[in-house]
Amino acid sequence: MNAPFSRQIIDTLKDKQVTFFTSVPCKLLANMITLLEQDTAVAYHPATREDEGLGMCAGASLAGKTTCILMQDSGLGTIINALAALVQFYQLPIVMLMSYRGSPGEPVPAQAPMGMLTPELLKLMQIPMLHCHEAKDLNEIASYVDFARVKQGPVVILLDFHLMSGDQ
Amino acid sequence: MKRYALLKTLVPVMRDSLVICNIGIPSQELFAIEDRDNHFYMLGSMGLCTSIALGLSLNTTKNVIALEGDGSMLMNLSTLATIGNRGPNNLFAVIIDNGSYGSTGDQASYTSAATSLAGIARAAGCERVVECDGDAAAKHLERALNEGQSTLIIAKVESGNEPVPVVPLHPVVLRERFRICVSH
Repeated sequence: MNAPFSRQIIDTLKDKQVTFFTSVPCKLLANMITLLEQDTAVAYHPATREDEGLGMCAGASLAGKTTCILMQDSGLGTIINALAALVQFYQLPIVMLMSYRGSPGEPVPAQAPMGMLTPELLKLMQIPMLHCHEAKDLNEIASYVDFARVKQGPVVILLDFHLMSGDQ
Repeated sequence: MKRYALLKTLVPVMRDSLVICNIGIPSQELFAIEDRDNHFYMLGSMGLCTSIALGLSLNTTKNVIALEGDGSMLMNLSTLATIGNRGPNNLFAVIIDNGSYGSTGDQASYTSAATSLAGIARAAGCERVVECDGDAAAKHLERALNEGQSTLIIAKVESGNEPVPVVPLHPVVLRERFRICVSH
């Protein structure tokens, strides 16, 4: 596994002192999940649902940790209330690393509906979003982690299907 | 015994622990009994109490207690599987099971009929699960804390709420005073 983009993303988050990770799986995130499973320098504990994962991140945040959840964009539909009434309400910095399954390249029709809604939902919720179309966009991730801490709230790193499906 | 009376027995046992308290009337009752900096009152996001406690317990050496309810536990049962596999020994939960949704008008929950939270927790991989009457819960919690063994206590009480006001504190105030407790 070379997966240079996946390695760059995880290394960036670690360099920025993100030390607690959770995930609900996606094949586009699989390489990053493998890296986290093998990494003894960070805590990684898989969640069963995206809202459970946000709860775990919130708890870790109460211990002063900056946290990250890896998830599909379809999971955004599951966590609107947890985002609004927990993460945003208590002003907790959380990095949401989101595979953009509902974007061009996606072969599964059922991924399209949430994909169409994802950018608008994030905008409506005033959650800052870094939309990564190509490799150079990944260089902005570090500043979004900083911004999560400055703003004291969630930020989303949205990773296009084409970008991550080529990262082998 | 109702929830309010049970919470009164738990407060003295929880003074040295970090407490994540369930949304709604449970938090309001706990606040009315004794407001402390080591209490984190959930003001929203029903169902996530035990998951927040799990995330906290994985990042501190202090004991963490989730004050959970039957209705909210039913909303997030799969977190029991995560606890069964990844829960550390400093995580404790008291699931106050009054067989009803107390904050929304005491509608019956399924634990008042066919469903056993203890059975679900054990099947999810949680090793130490105690089911008891409410008046025995404080004793079981104290023992579990002393032994340093992660335990889920399902405490059976009657349905019913104390007439108490909403928690008047700003969420960021709650967050900050709680973080200071975690770090000291």
